[in-house]
Amino acid sequence: MRNSGSILKISFVCILVFSMMSCSIMEQGAGVLSEAGLVKKDDTQSIVKTSKALRKGFGEITEEEEYYIGRAVAAVILSRYPVYENNSLTKYVNTLGSAIIVHSDRPETYAGYHFLILDSDEINAMAAPSGFIFITKGLLKRCRDEEMLAAVLAHEIGHVYAKHGLKSIKKSRLVDTFKLIGQEAVGRYGPQELAQLTGIFEEVLGDVVDTLVERGYDRKYEYEADRLSVHYTVKTGYNPGGLSDFLGVMAAEAGGDSTGGWFKTHPSAKDRLKSVEKEILSITDIPARHAARTNRFKRAVKGIK
Amino acid sequence: MKRRNRFIVLAGALFCVFVMLLLAETYVIKVQSTHLKKEPKFFAQTVAVLKNGDRVEKIGAETGWLKVRTMNNLIGWIHPSAVRTIKINLLAMNQPVKSQTSADEIALAGKGFNKQVEESFKARNKEISFVWVDRMLKIKVSTNEILAFLKKGKLGEYGGAK
Repeated sequence: MRNSGSILKISFVCILVFSMMSCSIMEQGAGVLSEAGLVKKDDTQSIVKTSKALRKGFGEITEEEEYYIGRAVAAVILSRYPVYENNSLTKYVNTLGSAIIVHSDRPETYAGYHFLILDSDEINAMAAPSGFIFITKGLLKRCRDEEMLAAVLAHEIGHVYAKHGLKSIKKSRLVDTFKLIGQEAVGRYGPQELAQLTGIFEEVLGDVVDTLVERGYDRKYEYEADRLSVHYTVKTGYNPGGLSDFLGVMAAEAGGDSTGGWFKTHPSAKDRLKSVEKEILSITDIPARHAARTNRFKRAVKGIK
Repeated sequence: MKRRNRFIVLAGALFCVFVMLLLAETYVIKVQSTHLKKEPKFFAQTVAVLKNGDRVEKIGAETGWLKVRTMNNLIGWIHPSAVRTIKINLLAMNQPVKSQTSADEIALAGKGFNKQVEESFKARNKEISFVWVDRMLKIKVSTNEILAFLKKGKLGEYGGAK
């Protein structure tokens, strides 16, 4: 009798420890026991319900949620900028982007990476969460070769990998969302919850769009994306000098007529240039430039107006 | 007494299930779909296409790739960015939440910001069109196109001087 009491206590402690370790394991375990007829279905749900802790920060936004945020952010950007419709150029940019993606730290996102050119003379590039990447015609015109364009795309891919867009969401919005979701047992919402969740969704989009289009990322995130760009381009086989060249063009144009887009949302190109050159010096095996790339770049952008 | 015995059996069974799952190192596919590759590289032959929510069991690892067994007993390689772990990492217990298994991808699948929320957002913001977003998603680049691009551009292993 005494023994069975101790076993009972030990068993309890074991369950508690394991349930604290992982809610998903708890759910699986309860599910298996329910199937085996050891626990009633109602009890299973209750075990799962109590074991499920609320999510806390941006790091716990699921891949699917990131995709829906990214889609809507992309839609808002596209409501502000018209699309530059040039199928062969769009295909070229997507192929170049894909070549870098397979050499990046995050080659897979929920629905993959996709690139679109915006019909604007403003110099700008933006990455919505989950891999919706935009570059303006104005930026394309400033690139002299494939190395420069590769560096810009790799910088944006770096933002997606490091989830910089999601990091711009105010924590209070996530807390509200997770609280609301935590109370729901299924993925289908009633009118009241849906209205509440849509309201928070709009605020989340506001945070991300404001960062991408108006305020810009935190300086440290731009430096991080530059560092990632250097490494992704080198891994793909590009000369990392493409980023220095691009920042050189931006530094030369700073203070001139161009004030919007890139200039509004990015830290000084001159400062970034110094940090990029330092990063390049740390690389021992630097790929050489090749005329074949410059030639195809010139063919692709020929006729751009 | 009878009730207590039943509870002991139940607790013991739960404990066994936890240990089994702990040892299994199961992953779940978190992207819409991913290719199970014959070798640990992107340009390797595809063994099967795995879908969101499919579970795989880790049986090995190599620089940046996971060797897995699918529920249909197919063996191949996948990139870690396509999966979420549902294994308990005992060694990471003292590390920040970020490195731990936290959000449960299975329990949360379809919850939170989902298609229903997007539809509701669209109804409230009619001036925002998703037409180009959907067109954008249709732009696909095949593995062969990427390979040809690298080759023609003398990139990576197709490049010459360093």
